[in-house]
Amino acid sequence: MKKKLINFVVILFLFISGTQGFAQKLITKTGSIKFQATMPSYEEVAAENKSVSAVLEQSTGDFAALVLIKGFRFKVALMEEHFNENYMESEKFSKATLKGKIEGFDASKITNASKNFTLNGDLTIHGKTKPVSVIVKISKAANGVNAIGTFEVKPEDFDIEIPSMVRKKIADKIKITYNFLLIK
Amino acid sequence: MKRKKIAFVIAALLLLVSAGIYFYYGFLFKEARNIESEMPDFSMTATKLLNEYNSNPKKADSLYLNKTIEITGKVTKETDSVVIIENNLFCLFTNKTKDKLINNNTTVKGKCIGYDELFQEVKLDQCTINKQNN
Repeated sequence: MKKKLINFVVILFLFISGTQGFAQKLITKTGSIKFQATMPSYEEVAAENKSVSAVLEQSTGDFAALVLIKGFRFKVALMEEHFNENYMESEKFSKATLKGKIEGFDASKITNASKNFTLNGDLTIHGKTKPVSVIVKISKAANGVNAIGTFEVKPEDFDIEIPSMVRKKIADKIKITYNFLLIK
Repeated sequence: MKRKKIAFVIAALLLLVSAGIYFYYGFLFKEARNIESEMPDFSMTATKLLNEYNSNPKKADSLYLNKTIEITGKVTKETDSVVIIENNLFCLFTNKTKDKLINNNTTVKGKCIGYDELFQEVKLDQCTINKQNN
């Protein structure tokens, strides 16, 4: 009887410590992603999305981010319409994701000064997945970490066709800037 | 004869100019969708929308994506620009009022932008508060 009770307590302890392991997740639901595809001397091609979701598992450095394409806002309504209907086909491919691992991530070594990490993972845009390696600047924030950075993608890598008529108005490499404040 | 010709040219010119103006404002610089003034395509409870998305995201997307929806439910969390209804419906506001909404039954109108698998959430953007019923 007593042994049973001890067993029970041990299992209970294991269970509690197990759930504490889960509590290592840092999340955001209001991260921002901006992209910039403006060519010099042409109209600005840029948009911002302020409702990006992201999760960082602190113990392993596993990272996942998800952005809904329809949430990108442009200054010009027609540009937003073209972006959704002609280029991103957001009715069919409603989201873009990045899933990967931040190499050598160690929560205890994060300080107020931002430090560069490499994120290796798979980027899915327009229904097509490509492996990417991205530099992430991570710094400490209240109750979590701040992850920011920039990377470039080429539309043709994700089967996004740009008609030759507007080709010279849109940059070959699209600059993506992200800003995630990940908290517990 | 000459007068007739001039009148014709003037009429043609007027037509051309008005077509130009129409194209310029109606097409090139068309106003963005104003979700606030649009009539909602659907009006339902938050739980119903969430259930439909959880059971079949693809089908729900084909029904609701990019549509203006009016949602009623209990506010479970609120921050500066975001109101969360029934734990899993994420509503992003462009300019939010200072009203205290937490724990109240509220009707929110917004554009459905899709389903977030990371948190099993449905997201609306360009939301406005329609009415508040305590």
